[in-house]
Amino acid sequence: MSIDTNIERFRRSMLISLLLISAVCGNAHAADINYQAEPVELVRQVSEELFERIDSHRAVYEQDQQQLEQMIREVFLPLLNERFSARLILGKHSRGLSDTQINDFADALMNQLLGSYASGLLEFESRDQVQVLPLRGDNSERMTRVQTRITLDSGEKAPVDYVLRKFDDRWQAFDVIVEGISYVATYRNQFNEEISADGFDQVLQRLQKGELQLEKANDDD
Amino acid sequence: MHVPVLLKKLTLIVVTAIMLSACASQGGTHNEPHPDDPWEGFNRGVWAFNRGLDKAIVKPIAQGYHYVTPNFIEQGISNFVDNLLYTVTVANLLLQGRFDDFGTALGRLVLNSTFGLGGFVDVATVEGITRHDEDFGQTFAVWGWKDSPYLMLPFLGPSTLRDGIGRIPEIWIDGGDIVVRKTDRIEPLIATILDARVSLLPRDDEIDEAVDSYLFVRDAWLQNRRFKISNGNNDLPDYEFFLDEGESPDATQD
Repeated sequence: MSIDTNIERFRRSMLISLLLISAVCGNAHAADINYQAEPVELVRQVSEELFERIDSHRAVYEQDQQQLEQMIREVFLPLLNERFSARLILGKHSRGLSDTQINDFADALMNQLLGSYASGLLEFESRDQVQVLPLRGDNSERMTRVQTRITLDSGEKAPVDYVLRKFDDRWQAFDVIVEGISYVATYRNQFNEEISADGFDQVLQRLQKGELQLEKANDDD
Repeated sequence: MHVPVLLKKLTLIVVTAIMLSACASQGGTHNEPHPDDPWEGFNRGVWAFNRGLDKAIVKPIAQGYHYVTPNFIEQGISNFVDNLLYTVTVANLLLQGRFDDFGTALGRLVLNSTFGLGGFVDVATVEGITRHDEDFGQTFAVWGWKDSPYLMLPFLGPSTLRDGIGRIPEIWIDGGDIVVRKTDRIEPLIATILDARVSLLPRDDEIDEAVDSYLFVRDAWLQNRRFKISNGNNDLPDYEFFLDEGESPDATQD
């Protein structure tokens, strides 16, 4: 294949993706989520919007993972404070790191999570499957656990909780707990092991290149 | 030989082999052991064995079964297996003194076993009857055996010493085991294994993509276990501690 055709293909795909991005951005204004809302309301609005979009653009998202990820970034990410999550995950390893380094880590981790889990959202058929429960349990002015129930195909309900914290002016989630399994706590142990062995810089590099996705146990054998 | 007995013997052989190899490879590069996982070397050995067995035999068969079986039949078999095993939940609710829940669970078992055509149709869920999930390990925890070291069981997967011991009385209570013993047919056992494996298929990518699949499964399993023992009211992770660790130099001593 000649270089010219390659460039041509590249230009065309750039054009198409730019068009798609602007189309998606255009849609974003139609929905007004109030990201300043109180925790329960915030989680309710975001999950409703998420499933609304999936409902109406399912065919597109099934074809094109990029667009799906783009949509999730727009609707779901403002709910999250991934930098704060990154600091919790890094724990003692975050000592002495610059803000840029922590941000880079947070971005790389978010990219990987989106890549792995975005398509899972398509398995949900309707937004009725998500139910946001009223607040209960120990909540403080700074930290709140919002509980939701997701109805699975089998009719069983899976508990998914969001842990939110009040940052300067608004509530943001920094951990998701699925059936009792906290993503922050789980990733924390994994990265601790990895960073203790290879150092932060190397682990960050591998995460950015997507190399940490590889099954490690096998390589050791 | 009865199948459960055969399985126990196989388990014993595997455990011995792995303990020997774990002893042989002592003194690796390992830092301080995780408080919940003092037998990590051994557990990793069993994990590798289980993974090998899974990749070579169990997973391909489960995938094939999932592929060729029509959805409603697969769901029916899954319901059937769940219903047989539900005797364990019923018995343990009673042992934990949760009499109201015991009544509900017994009702669910009877309803599904009769109107649900021997368990193939989960009538109870359609009727909105709660589905509990209890076992002897959880009962032991309720009785006071709170903490127990993580233990990877050959064939059976993640467990703790407490929960592993809890598997023994199950042999007399689990409806599936009883059917296998009384009828000398192993179909219910095979169905149980296939159903359990198929239900885990969606999780495979997550496990394969983990930084360290052993740690991922261990941490996720232990958290989920605490969640079940506390019936969904477990504490949140200690976020303040995680944060302090990163901020003050003397928060940790390593």
